[in-house]
Amino acid sequence: MTDGGLDPLRAGLEEWIGKSLSASGPAVAPDEVNLPMIRHWVDAFGDRNPVYLDEAYARSTRFGGIAAPPAMLQTWTMGRPQIQGIAERGGSAGEIGSDNPISVLSAAGYTGTLATNSDLEFERYLRPGDRLESSIVVESISDRKNTALGFGYFVTWVTTYTVGPGEVVGRQRFRILKFKPGSDAVGS
Amino acid sequence: MTKEHTGSQPPSEIAVGDELPPFDLRVSPTVIVAGAIASRDFMPVHHDRDFAVAQGAPDIFMNILTTNGYVSRFVTDWAGPEAMLRSISIRLGAPAVPGKTLRFTGQVASKSVDQDECIVEVAIRAANDLGDHATGSVIVSLPLDHAAL
Repeated sequence: MTDGGLDPLRAGLEEWIGKSLSASGPAVAPDEVNLPMIRHWVDAFGDRNPVYLDEAYARSTRFGGIAAPPAMLQTWTMGRPQIQGIAERGGSAGEIGSDNPISVLSAAGYTGTLATNSDLEFERYLRPGDRLESSIVVESISDRKNTALGFGYFVTWVTTYTVGPGEVVGRQRFRILKFKPGSDAVGS
Repeated sequence: MTKEHTGSQPPSEIAVGDELPPFDLRVSPTVIVAGAIASRDFMPVHHDRDFAVAQGAPDIFMNILTTNGYVSRFVTDWAGPEAMLRSISIRLGAPAVPGKTLRFTGQVASKSVDQDECIVEVAIRAANDLGDHATGSVIVSLPLDHAAL
């Protein structure tokens, strides 16, 4: 449900649509795709797919050798966390700049965040030694909506993952609702 | 190479409407924290109960990367190691929190042939007694078994 036309806050966000949030270039994974992190992952999930750790078996498959679990895509480029101060930053593992639509919405009182959709696409499985890079583009920002959590805006961005100069290996489309807690909610 | 490694689904035996064997994940704090840290997500809502409660959550809750990790496992446990995931699309709902078993269910929604691969779309759902935690679809490709199809 949309409550009217483009409000001034939303109008000010228009310039972000289609823009890269990676102004200083793609984020480069701290480490290459590697066996210790794959082992940590498959043990955490109890995933016994032999393609992820059994080299002899993996060689016999179409993957030609050990491949990383595809759902690890985002994990490779997660920044190194700054544990000290993480609670004071509201839970963010690193410093967040103010020059992005999420921070603009938070500063305007839309401090709540709810993830609503994740769409992952895989062009190929990653192999040990691959060094991943990621870049983020804002795809869309909704009009102001009146949701069960309060007034808010849906923000959608697409992260493109590459290996080397421009080989796209995967994408993630991610949508969140930035809402103002306690604002006039439907049915309350 | 053990016997359990060799069981990829023969595409010829997959039919639209087939149900995947359900998977019940007993969600504990350890399950949530292990997934969060393995996926390198250090946000305190996924490991610090006091922090999560202060944010309005009932308890620590599963991060999205972990949900995707279990969805991936759920589908490849059925499809087998020759399966290649092409996509995982989920819509997020109720949180996955300690003490509430998450039941993964799935059904083959479509099946087609693309050159030497069989493309299978599986409709998936992960739910607990709060409601649907995640619903969506996973597309997986399998090498064609040339003897059939």
